[in-house]
Amino acid sequence: MGYSLNPDQTAELLNRLAEDYRIYAPKRFPKQGRYSDTDIIRYDRIQTPDEIVWDQKSDYPAKEVISPIQQALFYFTEDEYRESKKAKKPVLLLARPCDITAQLVQEKIYAENGGFKDLYYDRVHNKVKFAVMDCGGGDDTCFCVSMGSNKPENYSLAFKFDENGLKAEVSDDCFADYFDGMPEDDFTPEFVEENELKVTIPDLSDRDVRLALKSHPMWKEFDKRCISCGSCTVACSTCTCFTTRDICYGDNPEVGERRRVTASCQVAGFDQMAGQREIRSTAGDRMRYKILHKFHDHKARFGDRHMCVGCGRCTHMCPEFISISATVNKMADAVDEIKASLADGGNHVE
Amino acid sequence: MNHDIDVKKMRINCFRQSKVPGEFMLQMRAPGGMVDAKYLSSIEHISKTWGDGNFHFGTRQTFDIPGIKYENIDAVNEYIENYITEVDEELCDVDMDKVAGEPQEWDVKSGYPTIGARNITACVGNYHCICGNMNTYELARKIEPIIFPSHYHIKINISGCPNDCNKAHMCDFGIIGTAKMEYHPERCIACGACVRNCEHGATRVLSLNEDTGRVEKDPCCCVGCGECVRACPAGAWTRSEKKLYKIIIGGRTGRQTPRAGKMFLNWASEDVVLNVLRNWQKFSAWVMDYKPEYLHGGHLIDRAGYKKFKEIILDGVELNPECLVAEDIFWHETEYRSNFNVKPLSMHHTAGPQGE
Ligand code: SF4
Ligand code: SF4
Ligand code: SF4
Ligand code: SF4
Ligand code: SF4
Repeated sequence: MGYSLNPDQTAELLNRLAEDYRIYAPKRFPKQGRYSDTDIIRYDRIQTPDEIVWDQKSDYPAKEVISPIQQALFYFTEDEYRESKKAKKPVLLLARPCDITAQLVQEKIYAENGGFKDLYYDRVHNKVKFAVMDCGGGDDTCFCVSMGSNKPENYSLAFKFDENGLKAEVSDDCFADYFDGMPEDDFTPEFVEENELKVTIPDLSDRDVRLALKSHPMWKEFDKRCISCGSCTVACSTCTCFTTRDICYGDNPEVGERRRVTASCQVAGFDQMAGQREIRSTAGDRMRYKILHKFHDHKARFGDRHMCVGCGRCTHMCPEFISISATVNKMADAVDEIKASLADGGNHVE
Repeated sequence: MNHDIDVKKMRINCFRQSKVPGEFMLQMRAPGGMVDAKYLSSIEHISKTWGDGNFHFGTRQTFDIPGIKYENIDAVNEYIENYITEVDEELCDVDMDKVAGEPQEWDVKSGYPTIGARNITACVGNYHCICGNMNTYELARKIEPIIFPSHYHIKINISGCPNDCNKAHMCDFGIIGTAKMEYHPERCIACGACVRNCEHGATRVLSLNEDTGRVEKDPCCCVGCGECVRACPAGAWTRSEKKLYKIIIGGRTGRQTPRAGKMFLNWASEDVVLNVLRNWQKFSAWVMDYKPEYLHGGHLIDRAGYKKFKEIILDGVELNPECLVAEDIFWHETEYRSNFNVKPLSMHHTAGPQGE
């Protein structure tokens, strides 16, 4: 069922929803950007429709609502521990198509990987309903269509905001009542069919090609350009890596809490093991790892889709202007070169 | 060559005497070093029509046009009416019919009425720069009507951040844009990038507490530059919305005792900066017994003594709660001649009203 709401009715709808849901949406934080007098847009709890930023992509991803940058897992005293409290009220999360598709990847890692369900993910995720927001085709860093993430399926509501209010479609009946008495409309959501930016992901099924790619000089470029800051992975809709930290209260090491903290494969020391050995010790190595993980390894392991959903947030947030789409295209060129050389008698490319 | 020219009057008019007899260089104000690029064609016109065809970037960010013959000065002044009106009167809201706050009608065809308060210089600031904490030329445009036109001399340099590219430390009154940084521990991934950036590029006041996974700061010595904010991948450091400033006073170059300025105020609000500047004229007038002469602000502070300066310049200024004031200042000068200040009492300068 579709509806068309004016601004007052939109506010009324949010009021009704807020009775039963904590509503999260992209919100503007004025002057909190990396550079002075620039804003940041990130997910936060909202109360009124004017807080919702629907015409600009958020800088940080929707995943923060479900798997925050930091969270307390449990509290411990000498021989006891207590699980951190879970929020009781369900969440309504207003997110773009790429964000919602990204949750499939998050789910795979947190809830299906290794036959183990992450309690702290699951207990939040279970309480989340999604409202997909029309993104108007995104911006010039988006390539969701290339990554097949432009048409999510797992959503309860579809919203299209504009200056005149909101058009909505209810696809999950449990939301029907909230629209009681609201003007009906034949609105059905439309999803972006083509991005300005198109990315071709090279076929890496051949082990020899992958081996040659590993030592290809293209990665060296990033030793010079990438500062290993991790902005790309914190902003990434699909990155899930975290570490845990035990934090002791005061000077008593027996009492404290265990926290889960986001980690980044792009930051030096990420893969440091006992004995201080690092597997990927250069920015180029780390970049190669990230790109292959997003555009080959994840799919090779889990089968269904590439990890990257093409939201473009990594490109948008990189302070050194490293574009993920340009990097994948460079990799595609390198793979063509490698394949030609292998066909040519196996002379490895230097 | 036989000339009869009042070069001092020319100077007040912003025409500086050339080594070539009878020639002058015009210096056009550009507050904060920023004007619409359309004025470049006016500069070109002046230079090609009345100057020698060249143009020099004034060290105080004025448009300098050398080689203007004395007999053409009236024509040039008439031509720059438009520029002065648009830039000073309209853009900066300067009251051109006052000098040092006293009514004195401006003859629109006579060029600049005073040279005393020099052009306010600024780095490009956060209009462009990724390090900047504030918009430097907008601040310059707010200061211009406070100090100009006036025969009292003041050189103001504005830098958008403590990197101080525009040398706020080397002028009478330097202004440096800062902000208080706010830490959001719930967003911190404990990567240490801010700690490293502060160490490499600023004051080494941050450290990562491995027991808590949080960044700790020695707040006394943070310069408010924002390098931590720039480094953070997670938005765990942000600048406070309120713009704050350091004021550095008494810096100077020169033939006698050049020195870098010292911090007078830290974490001052914009209102405080503007109100302090509103007292500058009063301070200068008092020191020089109400007779403006060409003296660097630093020398005025020396003559009055810092404590007297502080008393007059803060008179009636309500400080914002964060604002810190130097109790005393200990200058470090280059004395080209040792014991430069030790001389017969009769040679000592005076400060304040001297009576009849
Ligand atoms: S890798 Fe980049 S484009 Fe892909 S999901 Fe992550 S942030 Fe989005
Ligand atoms: S790619 Fe960019 S954002 Fe990612 S670690 Fe390198 S410099 Fe930082
Ligand atoms: S002083 Fe700061 S804001 Fe100004 S140009 Fe230098 S680095 Fe940029
Ligand atoms: S603002 Fe302070 S803490 Fe941050 S980098 Fe500068 S001096 Fe260090
Ligand atoms: S840079 Fe940001 S995330 Fe990293 S330690 Fe500093 S505050 Fe935390």
